[in-house]
Amino acid sequence: MTATLVTDPVIDELIGICGPDNVFADKSSRVNRARVPAPFPVHRWAEHVPDVVVLPTTAEQVSEVVKLANRHRIPVVPRAGGTGLTDGAVPLRQGIVVDVKLMNKILELDLDDRTVTVQPGINMLKLNEELQKYGVIYPDDPASYPCSLVGGRIGTSGWSLIGGRYGHTRDLVISFQIVLPTGELIWVGDGGGRKVRKSSTGYQLKHLFMGHQGTLGIVTEAVLELVPRPEAEFAAFFSYPDYETAWRSTGALARSGLATLAGVVLFDEWKLAYLRRDDEAYIPQPDDVRCVVATAMYGTTDEVRPGAKRLLRIGKDTGGAYLGDEISQGDWASRHDRYATPLHGRLRDGQVVPMSWHCEDASINWTQLPAVREKWHDIVARLGDRFRIFDDWGMFAYTNAAFKPWGDYLTEIDVGIWEQELDDEAWDAWVTAKRDIAAVSIAHGGSISACHGACRAGEVDLVPEEMGGGWDVMKKVKRVLDPLNIMNPGKYLLDQAYEDGPS
Amino acid sequence: MIGFRLSAQRPPDPRRINDVVVQRIEHVYEVDPALMRDHFQQHDFPAWDTRRIVDSRWEHLAWMHAHWADSVVSGEELMSTEE
Ligand SMILES: Cc1cc2nc3c(=O)[nH]c(=O)nc-3n(C[C@H](O)[C@H](O)[C@H](O)COP(=O)(O)OP(=O)(O)OC[C@H]3O[C@@H](n4cnc5c(N)ncnc54)[C@H](O)[C@@H]3O)c2cc1C
Repeated sequence: MTATLVTDPVIDELIGICGPDNVFADKSSRVNRARVPAPFPVHRWAEHVPDVVVLPTTAEQVSEVVKLANRHRIPVVPRAGGTGLTDGAVPLRQGIVVDVKLMNKILELDLDDRTVTVQPGINMLKLNEELQKYGVIYPDDPASYPCSLVGGRIGTSGWSLIGGRYGHTRDLVISFQIVLPTGELIWVGDGGGRKVRKSSTGYQLKHLFMGHQGTLGIVTEAVLELVPRPEAEFAAFFSYPDYETAWRSTGALARSGLATLAGVVLFDEWKLAYLRRDDEAYIPQPDDVRCVVATAMYGTTDEVRPGAKRLLRIGKDTGGAYLGDEISQGDWASRHDRYATPLHGRLRDGQVVPMSWHCEDASINWTQLPAVREKWHDIVARLGDRFRIFDDWGMFAYTNAAFKPWGDYLTEIDVGIWEQELDDEAWDAWVTAKRDIAAVSIAHGGSISACHGACRAGEVDLVPEEMGGGWDVMKKVKRVLDPLNIMNPGKYLLDQAYEDGPS
Repeated sequence: MIGFRLSAQRPPDPRRINDVVVQRIEHVYEVDPALMRDHFQQHDFPAWDTRRIVDSRWEHLAWMHAHWADSVVSGEELMSTEE
């Protein structure tokens, strides 16, 4: 498949489907949809520029675009907010980018059966502004809450900061309509009823079409869960003199059984050292504040107040010191912009350089966190020894299970990268480091990714190892549903499904 | 509309907080300018604009609390009533 497949007649056909105002072949529309915020080989930008961008407004238009792509064998890449950190929305073989941003309508609000039906281009913050009037919310709360969209949340099977209380995207999306890679429109959920949360009928297809990174189709409508808008919010940040105490305290807080507890997050010493460079809340902290554990609760006032008292007691009894209301409340309210804003890092001599933020994420069990932390920091330190353009921004571990905040943790190491200085050698070393980080996660019984997905260069090489026998099933599913390899080709090593040629 | 005032333009002189941080305005910590020399130049920024950003930050945080829940429970208050 090459760029030349998108010829003028194809563009005319796309205009016939989506309308003249919703098809863009100009350079800036295409170049701006070539990357996502994850570090990107900027010296190879041109390889990822799509041939044409369409912004459909209906499911039928999306279906027609996909059918056209099959007729002409042109790759199709779905794109929502473009904030995904595993390059899911980055075209690997040019083709057509289907940007769902104009499909941003609320289609139905059902306050009796507690659902809201939306198009995939809607953003959760905007949706909740509307829902607020009715005393309900849709509680999918990623750090990218202001900028990611429902379609991308489903495409990645996202993780929510308050998932310990309310569940994550896969728990909160009840059913959805999807355009299959061959263009047919179907609904998937738990069984057939669009507003049914639990069914035992047939295969559980919702999960198959959740987190596939655009390789199995394009979501065009979704029925979402509504929960009562919380009466009360409580956040408590505790400080600790060492990692061991903070890690044990994290486990105790997460296992407390408090039903309103939405999340517990542990920041390690590297993260604290990083925050002390620039962060208003941490610069003034005394030296013996080496690790921090943050907690948050939501619910009715009658539940949250006594729960919060118990939580404060557990934090104190396990060695934590409450950091005060200003930090606890202010930092919790900053949860959506804390990581996106630091657009600079440091060289080892302390000089400030422009850097972009990257995070490697994995699911790791509580018992394994200390060992994984040591190994991950070693990998990044070795990288930094060779190339000055990498900067270790520390790690955090955040409760990962849905509705019960214990067991395993979304574990992240944040790395600053001076992108403008990337060349092939540094990029290859980075990709190798990512592969090494993923290998540690697997060796410790974890999963390569808790929320972003695992289809970027480096970690993707280990997906077959993590999936085991499931990897063959994954390839068979891809080939059956997408016989011509149209949907987001090249992602997740799924070209291997076609090694003996297209079906 | 307030016209030009020199005092609103020029921030106060910096006070050293630690080896890598200085402060000129309450709540605003700044990277030591000596660390922004080789690759990244520090910009001059009018004091009134820094204050505007700080104020709008407080507004944003209050907005985010109100966006998610009707009230915020205070840990300090809960601890003061703990027997
Ligand atoms: C500052 C920041 C913080 C973040 N914090 C979190 C976090 O806390 N939790 C978390 O889970 N993630 C987080 N992320 C990652 C990212 O926001 C999520 O992965 C999010 O779900 C992506 O949504 P998007 O709308 O930007 O999707 P995109 O990046 O546009 O797409 C993501 C994937 O979904 C596919 N896709 C897009 N639309 C559709 C569709 N309609 N149908 C089928 N597939 C589709 C794309 O092809 C791509 O593979 C963060 C990112 C940033 C930049």
